Amino acid sequence: MRRLLLSISDGRGFDIALVSVPLTFLFMMAGLPLVYNIVMSFQEVDMFSLGTFFRPFVGLKNYATLFSMPETWPILKNTALFVSASIAGQFIIGFGLALFFWTNFPGASWLRGLFLVSWVMPGLVVGAIWNWILSGDFGVLNYLLRESGLITGNIFWRSDPSFSLWAVVIANIWLGISFNMILLSVGLSTIPQDLYEAAELDGANVFQRFFTITLPMMRSTIGAIISLGLIFTLQQFDLFAAITAGGPNNSSNVAQYWAWDLSFRQYDFAQGATISVIMIVFVMIASVVYVRSTRHEVRG
Amino acid sequence: MTVHQIELTGINKYYGAYHALRDIDLKIRKGAFVALVGPSGCGKSTLLRSLAGLETISSGDLVIAGAKMNGVPPRKRDLAMVFQSYALYPHMTVEQNLTYSLRIRGIDKAEAKRKAEEVAATTGLSHLLGRYPRELSGGQRQRVAMSRAIIRNPKAFLFDEPLSNLDAALRVHMRKEIRALHDRLKATSVYVTHDQIEAMTMADHVVVMRQGIIEQQGAPLDLYDRPVNKFVAGFIGSPAMNFVPASSGSDGKSLLLEFDEPQTIPFMKPVKAGQPLLVGIRPEHFELAGDADAMLRLPVGAVETTGASSYITTATQPELVIVLNNRAAIRSGEVIGLCFDPSHLHLFDQQTEIRLG
Repeated sequence: MRRLLLSISDGRGFDIALVSVPLTFLFMMAGLPLVYNIVMSFQEVDMFSLGTFFRPFVGLKNYATLFSMPETWPILKNTALFVSASIAGQFIIGFGLALFFWTNFPGASWLRGLFLVSWVMPGLVVGAIWNWILSGDFGVLNYLLRESGLITGNIFWRSDPSFSLWAVVIANIWLGISFNMILLSVGLSTIPQDLYEAAELDGANVFQRFFTITLPMMRSTIGAIISLGLIFTLQQFDLFAAITAGGPNNSSNVAQYWAWDLSFRQYDFAQGATISVIMIVFVMIASVVYVRSTRHEVRG
Repeated sequence: MTVHQIELTGINKYYGAYHALRDIDLKIRKGAFVALVGPSGCGKSTLLRSLAGLETISSGDLVIAGAKMNGVPPRKRDLAMVFQSYALYPHMTVEQNLTYSLRIRGIDKAEAKRKAEEVAATTGLSHLLGRYPRELSGGQRQRVAMSRAIIRNPKAFLFDEPLSNLDAALRVHMRKEIRALHDRLKATSVYVTHDQIEAMTMADHVVVMRQGIIEQQGAPLDLYDRPVNKFVAGFIGSPAMNFVPASSGSDGKSLLLEFDEPQTIPFMKPVKAGQPLLVGIRPEHFELAGDADAMLRLPVGAVETTGASSYITTATQPELVIVLNNRAAIRSGEVIGLCFDPSHLHLFDQQTEIRLG
C-alpha cells in the first residue's frame, strides 16, 4: 500500500496519473463520439432506436445505399472541387501576401495583424457579408465585374447552379487567406537571412532564390498548411448554411453539409453517420501528412 | 591594367543619421591578403558587406578589377564570401552546396560534379559529399563554406569572421589552412576579424579600424613597430602595450614616468620640455636587470607563470604588465630592476594620443 502511494506521489504512478487526465478527456469528448459514429454507420437507426447503443447490425448496407443514391457522386465531386479550389486559392493568395509583407515596408507587421480580422469572424457573419457582396441584383461583385466589362449581364451567384458552389468557394478563400498568410509568414521568417545573401553572392537572381532557397526551406510549412487547409475546408459548414444551404438542387452541396442535412433535417442518422465515416478517412490521411511534415522540419 | 584588384576611394556609409563608414580609402593589390581588424562596431563588417554589395554605400567609388561597382548587385560582382555562420544551404547536400553557384550559372551537371570532386579533394571533403550540413562538425562546415567559395574562382574572397565559431585549437589550425589556400590559389582575400592575432598572422596588409575610420594600415610588423596612435598601439599585440603618463625632464635627456612614485629614465630623442606625454612599452620588451643596469625599480604585484613565460603585474599606479620568457623566481611584494632598449619606447601626445617622432 505504501509503495503504491509512493509511486503515485513520485514515480511512474505519478506520470501515469498525469497522462491519464488528458487521455480520459480525449476519450470522452472525441474518442467516444467517433466510435459511436462509426458503429452507427453499420446499424439500422431510426427515431425510435436513437436512445440505445445496441441496434440491428446491417453490415455495409448503409454504404451500399449511399453509393446507389443519385446525388452521392455529384456531391462528392462538389466536395473535392470545393476543397481543392479553396485550398489552392487560400494558399496562393496567402503566400503572395506573406511574401508581400515579408518585404517589411513601414507598417507591414501592423497591417499583417489587421488581416487576421477576417479569420476571427464567425462563418455565419462572413456568410452574411458575402450574401450582400454576391447578391445578383445589387451586389457589389456583379457591379465591379459589369463596370470592368468582364460580364454583360448579372450573375446570380447563389441561385445559378453553375455558380452556386463557386460563391461559397470565393467566400471560403477570403476567410482562409489570413490564416495561410500568418503561418506562411512565420515559415518565411525562420529562413536565415544569410542564406539569401550567400545565394545572392553565388549569382542567384530573385526568382532563382525563390525556387532554390525559399520553396525548399518552406517545404514543411507548406505541407502543414495544405493538410490543415484540407482539414479546415472539410469542416466548413457555416458558409454553406449562410450562403446557399447546399442548393439549388444540390449544386453547391458538399459532404459535410449533406451529412448534417441527412441526420438532422431528414432524420436519416445512419446515412449521415456513413458520410461522416468516409470524411473521417480523408481527414485522417490529412492528419498523418500534417504530423509527418511538422516532424521533418529542415533546420540548419 | 591596374595592379589593384579592389580600390575604395572616399567611401561613406550612413544608417540614417549614424555615420558607419567615414572616408574610407583602401587599395588592395591583386593576390594580397588584407585583414580588416577592429573592435566590434568599428565598421569592418559593414565595409566588407559594402564590398560584396550586400550594403549600399552612400558615397565614394568602389572599383573591382578595374570596373566601377557602385550599385552593381552582388550576383554580378563575382566575389565569394565565407560567412561567420557559414550560411550553408541546409536542404542541400555538401555536393549540392558546392555546385550551387555553377548550377545557377547553367554549367552542366557532369562538369559541376567533376569540379565539386576536384575541390573537395583539395579541402578533404571527398568522403562527405553526400552528407547534409546538419550532419557535419563545425570544422567540416567551415571547410564546405570555403570550398563553396573556391569552386567559383572569383575575383576576390571575402571572409567575415569565419573562425569565430570554432574552438581555439581548430582556429589555429584553420588559420594556417586558409593562408595556405590563399597562397596556392594566388587569390585576393579580404578578411574581417576582431582578433588581432588572426590579422597579424594571416595578412600581408592589416587595416585597423575604429568608429568607421581607418586608424592605420600597413604590413603587420610595421603596425607593431610603429603604431600611429595609442589606439593602434594598444590594439595590436598581446598582452596589450603598457601606457604610462610622462613628461620630459628639463635637461631634455630624460623622461619622468608618472607612477604613484615617479621614476626617471634616460631618453635621448629630442622632446619638448614639459610636454605631457604618454609612454608606451610592450610587455615583452622588458628584461630583468641587476642593480647596476636597472632603469626602473618597481614593486611586484602578481606573478603568473604558464611554464614557458611569466606574466608579472607591478604594484604601481598605473600598473605595468611584464612578460618574461623564462621562469623568473620572483615573488609578490619584491622590488625588481627592469631594463629595456630605449628604441622600444613609443611616445604619444597625452591629449591627441598621436605618435610623436
